[in-house]
Amino acid sequence: MSEVETSPVSRAHGVRDVDVRVWADAEQVPLLRSFAADIAMRMDFDLDAIEDLRMAVDEACSLLVRAAAGDSALVCRFEPAEHGIRVRAEVDAEHGQPPSADAMGWQILTALATSVTEEVAPVEGGFRIRVELLAVPGPAGADPR
Amino acid sequence: MTSQPRSEDRDSSDVERFRELAALAPDDPRRAQLRGDLVSDHMDLARNLARKFDRRGDQLEDLVQVATIGLIKAVDRFEAERGNFYAFAIPTIMGELRRHFRDTGWAVRVPRQLKELHVTVAAGRNELSQKLGRAPKPSELADHLGLTKEQVYEALVASAAKQGTSLDARLAEPAGDRFGYEDDRLVEVDNRRALGPLLAELPEREQKIIVLRFFRGMSQADIARRVGVSQMQVSRLLAKTLERLRAALGEDTLAG
Repeated sequence: MSEVETSPVSRAHGVRDVDVRVWADAEQVPLLRSFAADIAMRMDFDLDAIEDLRMAVDEACSLLVRAAAGDSALVCRFEPAEHGIRVRAEVDAEHGQPPSADAMGWQILTALATSVTEEVAPVEGGFRIRVELLAVPGPAGADPR
Repeated sequence: MTSQPRSEDRDSSDVERFRELAALAPDDPRRAQLRGDLVSDHMDLARNLARKFDRRGDQLEDLVQVATIGLIKAVDRFEAERGNFYAFAIPTIMGELRRHFRDTGWAVRVPRQLKELHVTVAAGRNELSQKLGRAPKPSELADHLGLTKEQVYEALVASAAKQGTSLDARLAEPAGDRFGYEDDRLVEVDNRRALGPLLAELPEREQKIIVLRFFRGMSQADIARRVGVSQMQVSRLLAKTLERLRAALGEDTLAG
């Protein structure tokens, strides 16, 4: 495999930024959450934190898949960061309803991830909806106290 | 597609029907009919929860079957006086799904060595969780068990695939299967609308406990470790919170 430039952080864990592009369909969501869990495992997240991330990515992607325009793509970027992993998922949608409009889905998402943000931007012919979440390796960040 | 009544109407009709069911004699022929109706009217819930568990790689339809057994148990055991059926049915169905995963063997042919590795790592996970008071990291498991990190990774990935199915198999499922997802989405509107705002009003710690218990299916002991309180407190907080949610949903039902 050819060597590419990576940040010291990602090099330390042997993990680099990963971009995954799938059809925005519920059937593809398991693939994305497995990606997330595998990366977190290799970054030495504790086992609960790995499960949390798996579920958070599942929920985030499920929310986006529901919003996505037919036959569009779901693009997911996994970015190892200083204190955890940043996951950014986005779809193109016909309507600009933010993912947080799904009260329970958003509830689950915010409970599982350390931080979650959403963004709805108008683009030609519709909207681009993005969910970005940060997950940390263990109880230090996940503990609400 | 059947038309779904609005959630409030549905809740109150549930309560009425459960009362009716309880009032019928055990050998009354109307009993089987009513019981069947109650089960089939809540299939959406079973399907919804089954999907959450599909993360382990099993096939959705199998899980829906398991969830349905949980649903039937919930219908049989529910007492209308307890208030909201969902609050009772959700943990019952989740329990059934969890048991399914605990009890079923390996669906995928895994090398014997890897199976043994899986058992070793699972045992190490329990030991270390106790010792550390939190879930261990893969590196800690490797140190503890005298394995390489790659071996631990293999074991963890293997356990995720314990009830696996190939990606090809999923994609080869008939297109008709996809209509099921449509149902999920419609029905979630009902489920989520009723409970979502109530959950949002809960304090952060209670929210977290509810999510861990009902959406992650964690035991009270595990939750206690995660949240940093005693198991007794988790138990008390859960009871109090559920009581509160039930009361709130109950009021809605009366108002609706």
